[in-house]
Amino acid sequence: MKLSISRYDPERDKKPYLQDYEIELVPTDHMLLDVLLRVKAQDNTLSFRKSCREGVCGSDAMNINGRNGLACITRVSELREPVVIRPLPGFPIVRDLFVDMTQFFKQYHSIKPYLVNPESPPDRERLQSPAERDKLDGAYECILCACCSSQCPSYWWNPDKFVGPAGLIQAYRFIFDSRDRATKERLDDLDNDPYRLFRCRTIMNCAEVCPKGLEPVHAIERIRLKIAGLAEPVGGLDVHPPISPR
Amino acid sequence: MRVRFTGLKAWWVQRVSAVYMLLFVLFLLYSFALQPLQAFPQWHTWMARPGTSVAFLVFFAALLGHMWVGLRDVLLDYARPAGLRQVLLAAVAFGLLGLGIWLLWILLRLQG
Repeated sequence: MKLSISRYDPERDKKPYLQDYEIELVPTDHMLLDVLLRVKAQDNTLSFRKSCREGVCGSDAMNINGRNGLACITRVSELREPVVIRPLPGFPIVRDLFVDMTQFFKQYHSIKPYLVNPESPPDRERLQSPAERDKLDGAYECILCACCSSQCPSYWWNPDKFVGPAGLIQAYRFIFDSRDRATKERLDDLDNDPYRLFRCRTIMNCAEVCPKGLEPVHAIERIRLKIAGLAEPVGGLDVHPPISPR
Repeated sequence: MRVRFTGLKAWWVQRVSAVYMLLFVLFLLYSFALQPLQAFPQWHTWMARPGTSVAFLVFFAALLGHMWVGLRDVLLDYARPAGLRQVLLAAVAFGLLGLGIWLLWILLRLQG
């Protein structure tokens, strides 16, 4: 299999460049991560993140043939050759496929990703009806891999001001949680600044590349309708079968 | 006076103005299809009717509001230095205000 992988060592290189590799596939090479690990065995200077190798941790998000995805759940058999692998677009590169996610997590923390409820806790647990719980479907599954935010042009323009699709689907998850008591503060925070929520231009790259098939753009629309005082949603967010890089 | 930009107001202006403009254009096409305006005096009389004038006034207000939100969005996205952004936003605002005054003047003149 032919691969072209983006390489960058800040101590040596002025800018990233593509390096070609050729790997003889073996029957155990099912996913792109398997192949990348074999490239790394050949050239141990290549750097990339990985952890769970089964699409749960979100560490190995990268740009594969122009489209963001997780290397560990991208089938080798479906990929066009040469496979061009680059770091997540729009994020500062630390080295090779390794990107700096500080800004991304700063935006995530800005939406207060935890339940705010000053009422004294009940003896056992805070209960929800099945209908209230259903509203969180399609949002709580987000693994914060950053595929969506890194493929969002609005996030490329203003990563410091626009929360981005990943942060906003998390915001939805807490705004629509029946146990949370800070709904007004959360909505005011997103409305009082023209950048935080309303820079989304409904480009929908976020839904297109989400490796879990989630649709942050739907969460964003529901938050806007909630701020406008319109239509309380029923059920969870739209979810579609994930589309892998080809 | 400091102008505060919030997201929701612009979102409303964009949607309400779009709906009005769409309905108004459909109405215009329908009425022109039923009764084509063939000469200037005919057009003048039609435009001078208070109903038509007010409908056009609202249409132009919707158009200018829609333009403001669209151009404001482009500048908020792309004009990164705050000073440059403010200058460009002010230029767009004055430009649109000028257009609005000009349109109002034309509509008032039609009233004779």
